[in-house]
Amino acid sequence: MNAPLVETKTLGIERPFRFESGRTLKRIDIAYETYGELNGKRDNAILIEHALSGDAHAAFYHEGDQKPGWWDSMIGPGKAFDTDRYFVICSNVLGGCRGTTGPASLDPATKRPYGLTFPPVSIRDMVEAQRVLLKHLGVERLKTVAGGSMGGMQALQLFCDYPSRSDSFICIASAMKHSAQQIAFNEVGRRAIMADPRWNDGNYDDDVSPEGGLSVARMIGHITYISERMMQEKFGRQRKGIGTKTVFRPSFEVEHYLDYQGIAFVKRFDANSYLYITDAADNFDLMASISSKGRFRGQNRERGMNIGDMRAKKGLVISFSSDWLYPSSQSREIVRLFTAMNVQVSYTEIETEHGHDAFLTDCGKPSQIIRGFLASLG
Amino acid sequence: MYKIPEENYPIIEDWVDRESRVLDLGCGDGSLLSSLVAKKGVDGFGVEISHDMILQCVQKGICVYQADIDRDLSEWADGSFDYVILNATLQVITRPYQVIREMLRVGGCAIISISNFGYVRNRIRVLSQGRVSSRIRLAQSWHDTPVLRFVSLREFRSSLEEMGIEVMDARYFFPLNVVARTPWPGYNLLAKEGIFKLRRS
Repeated sequence: MNAPLVETKTLGIERPFRFESGRTLKRIDIAYETYGELNGKRDNAILIEHALSGDAHAAFYHEGDQKPGWWDSMIGPGKAFDTDRYFVICSNVLGGCRGTTGPASLDPATKRPYGLTFPPVSIRDMVEAQRVLLKHLGVERLKTVAGGSMGGMQALQLFCDYPSRSDSFICIASAMKHSAQQIAFNEVGRRAIMADPRWNDGNYDDDVSPEGGLSVARMIGHITYISERMMQEKFGRQRKGIGTKTVFRPSFEVEHYLDYQGIAFVKRFDANSYLYITDAADNFDLMASISSKGRFRGQNRERGMNIGDMRAKKGLVISFSSDWLYPSSQSREIVRLFTAMNVQVSYTEIETEHGHDAFLTDCGKPSQIIRGFLASLG
Repeated sequence: MYKIPEENYPIIEDWVDRESRVLDLGCGDGSLLSSLVAKKGVDGFGVEISHDMILQCVQKGICVYQADIDRDLSEWADGSFDYVILNATLQVITRPYQVIREMLRVGGCAIISISNFGYVRNRIRVLSQGRVSSRIRLAQSWHDTPVLRFVSLREFRSSLEEMGIEVMDARYFFPLNVVARTPWPGYNLLAKEGIFKLRRS
């Protein structure tokens, strides 16, 4: 079978987009991909939400690429999100740098990148942008909205803000709000970027971006994404290129691994985007956001509608035993909240050594559960 | 894995009010909850520890929560459920008293079924072969049994009394499909199983 191909499309929204902060952009672009077909009843759509460093390319191959999208093991014909049955959508988040408008996009007024003049982004802003996309695609109602890590936050936000728009949610290795430790790790990443002189208060050109700071931020991230045990098993104290050791040059395997991850990341990611998106995740607080009245944008009526009566709604929460960045206790907290809201939530903790990264790299058991969950939705 | 005896289902279905909230501890493949949802329209939640069982519950559309009954019941608030069921599961629990108290904290009413270790056949098996029957063990051999507790109906009843728990209703299962509502004389020798509907007194 030929590997299925896909292209990232861009939806240009030529009207003002208002952020939760009250600030407005005159226009935004949303980069997205779709897999499978929307059926005649328009009731088979699934929205996939990506994590911090993800993008719209969730599955299939881009022409000429060797590697498929970031969740190709989950999305495709016969896979957990079965594209023979479902119409699967994934878009790059607002504030991102992979096609959707973000701080690296050009401000039409100045013809320069927005940089720090870009409005602060919240998880809710990301969801609002996705709502515009769904409307454009003719999707009134989702079968489910699913995501891991920061993707899980978006899934919860969309599900709570628009209960009538989604039959269910799937939240993997995520949290209702970041703990002090999660914020702390993100802050160290942000400081690494801001301490890079090339960052220059967010004003930099593409060819002189703060790569050093951004790669350090990514290296810290990668330490937190895998379990201590897996890191030990993978790298131990092995060295690369024995005999050529130079002082303070990477010699341990683990150093080379982090170095590689850092360099690979700066090629595809914008430092300011990293600041904005981690800030959105840190400021996310589901309880606070759903209990406050959405007084802006005149959507109060729909937002939070029937939040007390979600009896027919379903949720699936998955955590990973060795994930110390988003520990199972945070997933259990999500289950308790939604159970109290009368949502029919199931929870499972998957046994794995992969740590937080398991939602991307150890998809076997989650696939089984998700397939069963989607089947039970009818 | 072992099979949960389905003979209790009609009794549990009878005891549980329509459209109530039910928590089933050690819910297995979710068959009891499925039946309660279908027949009594309850809001059903299951607790299970095994991935395979959880998968089966999820496929059936039964709400299931992966947790260790011994540890994790404290996560639910007081009175979260109308009924908390422990069907043929008490024998695998490390801290039974704590779990029973927790059941009556998170639920208004507890339903517990047990297999009677004092049943005559079990006694004979121990006397004649010097081993516990595989029915009691829920496994073929001594080393792979999940069963930690061997309790007779009489002992269980006195434990309830000791904990200040009221028996609202009960069924004692004798051979030849004889079922009694009260502990007949000799029940601890002749009844195979018992099921109890309990509340704090």
